[in-house]
Amino acid sequence: MSLRKNSYIREFLSQRRISGARVWRRWWSWDRESVTRLANIAFVMILAAGIRLLGINQIGFNTDEAVYSGQAAAIAQVPVLKDIFPIFRAHPLLFQFLLALLFNFGVSDLAARLLAVAIGVITVYIVYRLGSLLYGESTGILAALIMAVMPYHVIVSRQVLLDGPLVLCTTLTLYLLARYALTGNPIWLHAAGIGMGLTFLAKETGIILLGSIYSFFALSREVPVRLQDLIISFGLMVIMILPFPISLLLAGGSKIGQQYLIWQLFRRPNHTPDFYLLTVPGAIGTLVILIALAGIWLLWRERTWREKLLLWWIIVPVIFFQIWPTKGFQYLLPIAPAVAVLAGRTLIRWLWLENPFIGERQLNTLWIRVVAGGLMILTLLNTSWMAIQPSTTGVFIAGTGGVPGGREAGEWVKENLPSDATVLTVGPSMANILQFYGHRKALGLSVSPNPLHRNPSYESVNNPDLEIRSNNIQYVVWDSYSAERSAFFSQRLLALTARFHGRVVHTQTVTVTLDDGTKVDKPVIIIYWVHP
Amino acid sequence: MINSRRFSYLFLLIAMIIPLFGMPHTSSAQSENDPKTPIDHFIVVMQQNHTFDNYFGTYPGANGIPEGVCIPLTVSDPKNKQCVTPYEITNQPISDLSHSETIFFDQYQNGKMNGFVEALTKLNQDGQLSMGRFTEKQIPFYWNLADQYVLFDNYFSSAHTGSITNRMYWVAGKPGSEFNRIPEGGFGDIPTIFDRLQERGITWKFYIKDYNAGLNYRTAKELDFLPPQVQWVPLLSFDRFIDDPELSRRIVDLDEYYTDLENGTLPAVAYVLLLGATEHPISDLSLGERATRTMLHSLMQSDSWENSALFITYDDWGGWYDHVPPPQIDDRGYGFRVPALLVSPYARMGHIDHTLLDHTSILKFIEENWDIPPLAERDAQANNISSAFDFSMAPRPAILVSDTREVPEPRVEPRRIVIYAAYGAAMLFAFLILLRAFSAREILPPLSYEPRPPEEIKS
Repeated sequence: MSLRKNSYIREFLSQRRISGARVWRRWWSWDRESVTRLANIAFVMILAAGIRLLGINQIGFNTDEAVYSGQAAAIAQVPVLKDIFPIFRAHPLLFQFLLALLFNFGVSDLAARLLAVAIGVITVYIVYRLGSLLYGESTGILAALIMAVMPYHVIVSRQVLLDGPLVLCTTLTLYLLARYALTGNPIWLHAAGIGMGLTFLAKETGIILLGSIYSFFALSREVPVRLQDLIISFGLMVIMILPFPISLLLAGGSKIGQQYLIWQLFRRPNHTPDFYLLTVPGAIGTLVILIALAGIWLLWRERTWREKLLLWWIIVPVIFFQIWPTKGFQYLLPIAPAVAVLAGRTLIRWLWLENPFIGERQLNTLWIRVVAGGLMILTLLNTSWMAIQPSTTGVFIAGTGGVPGGREAGEWVKENLPSDATVLTVGPSMANILQFYGHRKALGLSVSPNPLHRNPSYESVNNPDLEIRSNNIQYVVWDSYSAERSAFFSQRLLALTARFHGRVVHTQTVTVTLDDGTKVDKPVIIIYWVHP
Repeated sequence: MINSRRFSYLFLLIAMIIPLFGMPHTSSAQSENDPKTPIDHFIVVMQQNHTFDNYFGTYPGANGIPEGVCIPLTVSDPKNKQCVTPYEITNQPISDLSHSETIFFDQYQNGKMNGFVEALTKLNQDGQLSMGRFTEKQIPFYWNLADQYVLFDNYFSSAHTGSITNRMYWVAGKPGSEFNRIPEGGFGDIPTIFDRLQERGITWKFYIKDYNAGLNYRTAKELDFLPPQVQWVPLLSFDRFIDDPELSRRIVDLDEYYTDLENGTLPAVAYVLLLGATEHPISDLSLGERATRTMLHSLMQSDSWENSALFITYDDWGGWYDHVPPPQIDDRGYGFRVPALLVSPYARMGHIDHTLLDHTSILKFIEENWDIPPLAERDAQANNISSAFDFSMAPRPAILVSDTREVPEPRVEPRRIVIYAAYGAAMLFAFLILLRAFSAREILPPLSYEPRPPEEIKS
């Protein structure tokens, strides 16, 4: 779809003084294609927004959301939270900076999540533009639809995580690169440098996509690039990245930045090597991946620089994060737009199938594509729908959603515990949540006393017996989520409650469904008062 | 025949009138036991053997150790000009200094307050140790309490002798015996504050950390020493408090204090002996601090906090130096000053109270708060500790008190303006560059990539 076809809209928008009747006539005069296109875009965007907003705040923050929101609150100088959460942790502060602008008007988990959703919906729109740019309007619409309902993006963009803004920036960069490759106009390459800078500011791991860009230019002779433009683009990227080191150096966070670097380099693997294989295909959609891969094969003869760009955008992060010992559910999200566009390409552009039984005759693939596409969208929609439902098992994977009962327990803590009370939890995850909602200091029992093996932001409890005996810790909080991950520390925590006259002062329950289908209120968070 | 409707009216009328007769009695019974102040729970912890100057002699703003004090090694030899200045006790070992009535008068020196060293040296004890003092380094929690709540610097032990007599003043307002000892048959019929509370139906308990329920003045006779529990819990030397289950069941282990807090059954008046965490020399002071802190924090964490007051004091001076001559109001006292602190949501913040007080002032507060007549002449004439409260203010929220005086390094606040400026400028810069790119009037080349049948591709 060329911009020329948008001339109706441009012309319409350029009219400054126009009567109501004329507006109607103009609208009426639009060709059916434009109206359909707008309706399609509107449908996809509304669907994207709707599925992301559905029950958006029925469950409180998870640990990462609590941390990023806590950082934002610290930037916005929110009382109490600014003393609990350090501003500088592992990542640059672009998203936290935007959140802080919101939090200047009051801290709200709902507002934070709405910002995340807005970023997610904008990403879907950019996927539409990317698909349209590379393979035409229909592919753009279909790619955006896939992205709109893809569980991977739906789950992450409903949360206050850095990966949502990261994917927005990486997709924007991909679009700008595609635009450069298409037009040869260096302004787009320069803009892509800006996009990479934004990507870094959103989350520094996005910098590995430089590898994708390098591979693309190095192996695509059909897209010429001048060294001078590359240098300018790189310079613009560096300028964009500057806020990170500047704020670390001038705002007093250089020490913690160094500690994080050391920790990230030497930390132990947190998942098995097959983690991504087990989690990501299902989240992207197995059918989406299969269709995207099938397109590479089926449309091999149509191959251009476009597929190279998209494939390098996928291959480099996948290899990097597979090798990198630290793994996270959402780390591979930047590849999702490229996969969606490739899948859309297959379904739109795979028109004919050579019939092996009837010689040279071509078969129209329309029905195959309709069935495969419909099945794919329905599967994605169903998986997303299931994913946004609150956990009914009392178990959850970090990064996949909120923690049922966490907000309520935190609010109870805020209302009922003395302001200087200190809480001991099984691990730092629940500690973060309680700190954000409860405004009380919380320490994780599982935090390693070895500085090389712990997040530099976390304080270890080297001798919990002594701390409770000395009345420096007054409450102990057990939660089923942390217990599921670490039975050892759960047992240790419960042993402490038994030793120090633990008395249950609050039990947070969630309704869970048992194997036989019956629903029961399961205690997921239990707060004990302990004393020597 | 009374019709049923009229009968119903009559019944209703009677039903309404009957409670009117009953109500004044009921409400009168309730108001009788209601405290006169917002303090529904008054808890008193009595520790052992320290003077005010020994604990708070250098506390800013309090009537502490005067400048230039130097206590002579001997007062009996005027030629000997050697003297000892108060010094900070750090790591050196301390001992249990004698603190009998004789020692008191030798140290008191008719109000000259200069016999502290010699009185002990005469007994072959380390007299110079009496000039030792503790500081915020050794008792940081108590100093923090003083910062946040009320410190009394004119509070005297009731008797110029040891624990037994002073603690009798604490519970009964009178010495109980001629000397600092438990009479052969116990303290007999001397009324105590707990008798009065019991009569009135006002709840009370005596909590003892590490309580041995089988140990009292009678069973102690079988031993060749007087166990601290018996010395420090006067009630265990009263037959009725041993034999009457209604009374004896209120003398309990400190564990029950926490249960009572949890269950909301904290009594109106509670006396506490931290037997297993005593600060009596040569014990580790941090044990007492820790136990008191745990008690206080638990109180703060309970629903009872808003209507409670915790009073901490010491039974006698323990042989340590104090510079204020105690007023001699009768032939038994006062003894030297002892530390006293009040913690309550209604306690004045960081206040140093100069009211003349002694252990019977505790009785005075209980008596006035619950409208109980005085037990003896001492408590009748004692000043109340009420000047330390400010009941006109809203109760202060519970703030847990630190056990360290270490001043945290001044937190270096991140320069947030740098963050706003740097990231704001980056966003603006990105916006301008992208705006320039997107505003370029550029016509994209037509999509030379329309779907084509394979034959076309082949051709």
